[in-house]
Amino acid sequence: MTDKNEIVIALLGQPNSGKSTLFNALTGLRQHVGNWPGKTVEKKEGSFVYNDRKYLAADLPGTYSLSANSDEEIITRDYIASGKADVVCILADSSQLERSLYMLSDFAGIDVPCFLVLNMDDVAREQGKEIRVSDIEDRLGIPVVLFSATDRKGYDKFYAALEKAVENKPLLNSDALEAKYGQIPEYVSIRSIIGDISDNSKSSMWLAAKAVEGDAPVVSRIRTLLSDDKAAEFDEAVKNIDKGIVKTGECKFAWIDELISGSVNKSKKTVELGKFDRLITHRIWGKAVVVITILLGLLASFIPALPFMGLGSAVGMLPDPLNEMMINAGCPAFIAAIVCDVLIRCLGFVIQMLGFVFGVTFVFGLLEEIGVMARISYVFDNTMAKFGLQGKSVMPFLISFGCTMGGAAGTRVIDNWGQKVLTIALSWAIPCGAAWAVVPMLSTLFFGAWTPVIIAVILIVMILHMWLTAKIFGGSLVKPENRCGMIMELPPYHKPKWGALMRYVFGRTKDTFIRSLKVVLIVAFVFWLLSYTSSGDASNTVLFKVGQAIEPVTMIFGMKWQTFTAFVASSLGKEGALGVLSTIFSGTGTLSVGMMAGGEQAANLNELLLANITKPEALAFIFAITFNMPCIVALAATYQETHSVKWTSIIGLYYTFTALVLSGIAYHIGLLIW
Amino acid sequence: MPMQDLIRLLKDGKSRSVGMIAAELGMSVEQVQRDIEFLEQNGIIRRIEFSMCGDCSGCSGSSSGEDRKTCPGCTPEGGFKNMGVMWEIV
Ligand SMILES: Nc1nc2c(ncn2[C@@H]2O[C@H](COP(=O)(O)OP(=O)(O)O)[C@@H](O)[C@H]2O)c(=O)[nH]1
Repeated sequence: MTDKNEIVIALLGQPNSGKSTLFNALTGLRQHVGNWPGKTVEKKEGSFVYNDRKYLAADLPGTYSLSANSDEEIITRDYIASGKADVVCILADSSQLERSLYMLSDFAGIDVPCFLVLNMDDVAREQGKEIRVSDIEDRLGIPVVLFSATDRKGYDKFYAALEKAVENKPLLNSDALEAKYGQIPEYVSIRSIIGDISDNSKSSMWLAAKAVEGDAPVVSRIRTLLSDDKAAEFDEAVKNIDKGIVKTGECKFAWIDELISGSVNKSKKTVELGKFDRLITHRIWGKAVVVITILLGLLASFIPALPFMGLGSAVGMLPDPLNEMMINAGCPAFIAAIVCDVLIRCLGFVIQMLGFVFGVTFVFGLLEEIGVMARISYVFDNTMAKFGLQGKSVMPFLISFGCTMGGAAGTRVIDNWGQKVLTIALSWAIPCGAAWAVVPMLSTLFFGAWTPVIIAVILIVMILHMWLTAKIFGGSLVKPENRCGMIMELPPYHKPKWGALMRYVFGRTKDTFIRSLKVVLIVAFVFWLLSYTSSGDASNTVLFKVGQAIEPVTMIFGMKWQTFTAFVASSLGKEGALGVLSTIFSGTGTLSVGMMAGGEQAANLNELLLANITKPEALAFIFAITFNMPCIVALAATYQETHSVKWTSIIGLYYTFTALVLSGIAYHIGLLIW
Repeated sequence: MPMQDLIRLLKDGKSRSVGMIAAELGMSVEQVQRDIEFLEQNGIIRRIEFSMCGDCSGCSGSSSGEDRKTCPGCTPEGGFKNMGVMWEIV
């Protein structure tokens, strides 16, 4: 009761229980907002009149429970226990009683007049739930209203319950809950130590339960209420409790389940797993289905890539006619060569590559949007355990398909250092976005319709590579006992949001375009300078001589000195390889024309490449750059995340080495085929 | 003791979906969801938040400052939204 003779009603409920809706409906515009004393927590109050009685409604902060996890919760429980409210109105969501009644169960034991509002009746009905209010009323000993706060016509029931609560001052019957607490030994011992003390309206049962939960304000409050030797005994009892909150929580939930069992009829509606969900969660077929999904996704991304390929090779045709035009127009040969050999050829290459960036981003963005990616990560989750990793490592891996740096940064969620380093080490084996652009492009160029097979083989090699790498490094980095389980909740399937998806796809394509063009141009320019001679005879250049000198060694791995140089450049970024290819194999100061049959100038770079690189060499080269270190920035990111020079260099050297080994193997297999 | 069973279940290092946990412990999906909410609210398990890109200096569009969870060059606006939710024991 306030000084103005208003009856105070406090609204207590979890977020989204409909508290504000009810509060607004009751008070209309007669509201004011202030702060709780000393705190920055908002306090909303409003007044209303019903049947000539004046009421003041206080909208308490919406919190999950009445524990001491936040200021809001402490304010709320101290306010209701203080007796400033004449009656507490507890809200719950009828459509999910088993969880939303938790507030009621946490309130149980605070002896203040109250009544229960089961809100969202309309939603519960829609779910086919039928709630027998009178049963619940009998079990609780307080008025219970089932209604919808959004339906103005149903408020009579609410006011009736309110008046009943104001007149009869009913207290919540918590005997059944106390009986459940009685099965917790820790509760029993604390309860016997504290005896029948109470604090305002907080009963000894409520206090003892909170003490079991390790609730600090309650524990220190109880201590002040006890005699010295009792307090010492109490401290001892509290100290030894482990996860008390779980134990009392189980009692509260069991109490709720009993309360609603028999009072809620649910029309049986079993949730069926979707067809795709049943497939991927299948023990044997799951992984196969997922691998095939990824493969099909990669292949599908070729479709949007093809027009780009066409455009790119058209641009690639320009240099020779353009070069002639520029020379005829009196442009110095040097400038013409830079523009044609470096700029335009690189542009052509990057455009060809962009198609795959666009395609891959689109397809995998779409898979993510509709919820398939989550299922893919789910399937591979337990595979992570075989690698000695947490299930959450699957996320950095998926990100690494886009960008290894992102993957490395994504490992920040992994607290265990060894697992983190291993995750980064393995994520390097995953071809990044740039690889998924350069590699399909080169494959299409050299192997045409066989590209899908190459992509499939790369995926398989990637898995074996990760498995082997985990075997090699796992032992020293991770211990099986560091693993702990995870819970995953799959998202429902969505319709894609096309707008956001397309913005993402175009944004990423543009980003890649800018970055790739930069890398390719720099590399190309450097190599062009190294190979440029005014005489047109490149065999005098240092590059050529060094190249020839190392070729016997590089041929072990199936790479001529040109492709080997491109491989080295791919460490800067996979696009770097294109920069080398476009200059070394083309142009006016060309190194390759001399090697061409008949010495005739080829029309464009693609043909030049085909003429100069055999299929086994191309295969070796593709494997070498796919599994080479992702890029120089990824190396830096790896250091940044691991803070270990040792492991960063181990990983860097290991990948350079394995890339060469893989390319050697690919070369020799290629020799057998072609 | 359903919640203690759930915690014990997670000790074996495997990952499970909500549905699998429900089946293994003989509970309804709603009950498992309720337990997860409870354990999360009380700080016994935690939701895994992925920072997608970190300091991705490689992307032209990377945003700087406090909110550096995503960059438009690597992830869609606001990060990947449909990857489901994961929880782990704290
Ligand atoms: N269908 C339905 N929706 C409701 C009902 N009560 C509240 N809502 C809606 O539930 C949402 C959360 O309600 P709100 O009052 O903001 O909850 P609060 O967080 O507890 O204050 C809002 O969108 C309301 O419109 C109800 O009885 N039936």
